[in-house]
Amino acid sequence: MSVLTAARWLAVLAATATGVAGAAAILSQAGSGAQPWDPELSDNFVFMKAIPFLLALGVTLGLVRHRAARRSERRASDGAIRRFSPGTVAWHWIITIGFLLALPTGVWQYLGGILDVSAPVPLYLFYRVHYMGAGVILLALASFVTYWWLNGERSLLVPRGQWRRHLAGLAHELPRRLGAPLAKRLGIDLTQTPPETGKFTFYEKVVEFPWWSVAIGLITVTGLVKAMRYAYPVPGPVLYWASTLHVAAMVLLVLKVLDHLRYTLERWPLVTAMVSTWLGEGYVRLRHPAWYRTIEGPAMRPGPRAGGAGASERAPAGISLGRDQ
Amino acid sequence: MKRVSGVLAVVWAVANLVLAYFFVTGAFVAKTAAKEGLAAQAALLLGGLLIGAFAIVLGRQALALLRSPQPAER
Repeated sequence: MSVLTAARWLAVLAATATGVAGAAAILSQAGSGAQPWDPELSDNFVFMKAIPFLLALGVTLGLVRHRAARRSERRASDGAIRRFSPGTVAWHWIITIGFLLALPTGVWQYLGGILDVSAPVPLYLFYRVHYMGAGVILLALASFVTYWWLNGERSLLVPRGQWRRHLAGLAHELPRRLGAPLAKRLGIDLTQTPPETGKFTFYEKVVEFPWWSVAIGLITVTGLVKAMRYAYPVPGPVLYWASTLHVAAMVLLVLKVLDHLRYTLERWPLVTAMVSTWLGEGYVRLRHPAWYRTIEGPAMRPGPRAGGAGASERAPAGISLGRDQ
Repeated sequence: MKRVSGVLAVVWAVANLVLAYFFVTGAFVAKTAAKEGLAAQAALLLGGLLIGAFAIVLGRQALALLRSPQPAER
């Protein structure tokens, strides 16, 4: 074990121990009965105090993932290709749980006020679940960002100087009624051969990832401003705009979840890849040809494989390729 | 897995249609106009319409998924 590895594990142990100690201290304070606050305000303090520990724990878990990622193989014996690491799949579902907790409760807090209605359960329970979801999201975000940063992961970003190529690819992927106006505006000829798709589609890189990043970044920053208002005197106008933008980001996320589900359900192999980590060779060859060519291994031999999914240029049996965007 | 995903997506789409309805109707409630102002009303209306449109598209996709044959998992 190198000195760097030992130092990394030491940091992980220290952050975990600090996180556990922090959680114990926060919960003992909240449960002591000595605090004068009502349940809602008490939960707000618990959440606010937990944020630094959650972020630190997320960063260290990202460090652990960085170590584990090197051991992931890229090809299966049947030729299937790994699209996501097991860690990415695990954290994808963890952050999904966070959204499932935080989004509906956030929507209720907002709509309850607009419609002037009350739920049969106390409002502080909505806040409590909302904070739990937000905590999970913060933990996952810290882990994802650390992992991507350390791993030099840039495959979801449009490389410098490649925007025009990606917009051309997007115009080809979109349905004609959306792609044609975009192509006309950008001076792109849709009769020309479209650029080949890499590991991620043009829609994922040009629309999905930027949309997720802006919406999650906005809701995180504004949520942190809202959470710290009891610990630090946040000026009224700042709090007003933080609250307004928090709701705007919530709507952006509601829309993005709907769009993400629509997009991936139409490309079923992408859904199964987010569970199994693998994409069938035939699907990759058809839908991600530029990525396929970069993958080396014995299964790359041309010609049919016995019982393999990539034996021909047609879709593997039972796999719905879906329409390009 | 495909059927379960399709059913869950239908449920999610329907829940979002209900949400869209509350957004749109909330835009025309007198209290919103008095308390939040025109900008908030417009935002609620636009947000509601967009959520409704996206939910319909997802619902159609989910139903198409339910009608399609069971796929290979890879």
